[in-house]
Amino acid sequence: MDELELLKKQWQSKEQELPKLSFADIYKMLLKKSSSIVKWIFYISIAEIVFWTLLAFLVPESSTKFSDDIGLHNILLGVNILNYLVFGFFIILFYRNYRKISTTDSLKNLMGNILRTRKTVKYFVVYNITTSIMLIVGINIYYFLNQDIVFRFMTEDYGIVNISQERFMKMFFAIQILFGILMIGFVMLFYRLVYGILLRRLSKNYKELEKIEV
Amino acid sequence: MNKELEHSFVAQLEENQNIVHKICRLYTNNSDAHNDLFQEITIQLWRAYPKFRGESKFSTWMYRVALNTAITLYRKSKRSISTQDFEGVSFKISADPYDDTVEQQLKLMYSAVKDLNDIDKALIFLYLEDKNYKEISETLGITEVNARVKMNRIKEKLRTILNP
Repeated sequence: MDELELLKKQWQSKEQELPKLSFADIYKMLLKKSSSIVKWIFYISIAEIVFWTLLAFLVPESSTKFSDDIGLHNILLGVNILNYLVFGFFIILFYRNYRKISTTDSLKNLMGNILRTRKTVKYFVVYNITTSIMLIVGINIYYFLNQDIVFRFMTEDYGIVNISQERFMKMFFAIQILFGILMIGFVMLFYRLVYGILLRRLSKNYKELEKIEV
Repeated sequence: MNKELEHSFVAQLEENQNIVHKICRLYTNNSDAHNDLFQEITIQLWRAYPKFRGESKFSTWMYRVALNTAITLYRKSKRSISTQDFEGVSFKISADPYDDTVEQQLKLMYSAVKDLNDIDKALIFLYLEDKNYKEISETLGITEVNARVKMNRIKEKLRTILNP
């Protein structure tokens, strides 16, 4: 392999014309902020955890009152407690994974750790979406089975009048389904965009390294 | 922050900056991206520096962090142009300044190396830096045998690119 040997010789003779930075130039760099992919994954993940946690708090008072009235209080309380336990578990996992990321590790380990961190957050979101869907479906089945009570409370609490129960229930379920689909679609789009961009190169390289080991 | 630590770090990086520049040159295509990557590698090195206890040479430790940053952590700028900038790469042929076929060959080889994928490039880079297979395998996290096999394949690949 003559050319490569030649290149190696030249490479080592330090005769490549390389830029030369001064002590001061490098010193200034220490003060700048990193824009590494890990930092972004970390920030976005924190934002996700905060988002889903806030979402759980942001259920409007009226909605809570409505579910209480309709007899879902205990079930929803149980679901909430379980939810927070799972949240806590995920946050611990996520933090432990993140701590493991170290640039002094081997390339393969480093990439593996980043992808694992990402996967933890992915599971967290999958968990959230799944429970959201189950909850929406479950509650709507409950509503469906108890249409009379739903209609009664709705007309009493919100002053919905001049509409037949049948028509109201049709609209009610249509809105519920539409809202559910929109929300899930939005979350999926978000993931495709954000992590698709961030992780494409990383996972490609990781696969490349895995191939070597086969 | 500890001034003494900062000072010794910057001094060592200044002395060994060529390693980082070579990596930047291999993994980026213009001077803006080159500077960005150098900046990011510096930050990552500085962050990892407190853990560097001098069991290995500063430069050896640098290879790992710098390559990790170039391949894994660094986000390429949106406007990365994939054209090779030959102007930036110039090899002085000290033996025979009139022989430009050698220079030509070098440029071709260099551009072939630049066209490799990120991982292959890392292997060739470490090879050019005269690292042994043990060091290469430790840096990349693969076995020595596999590093050897892979290296032979890349050399083969480069050979066919240059002599079709």
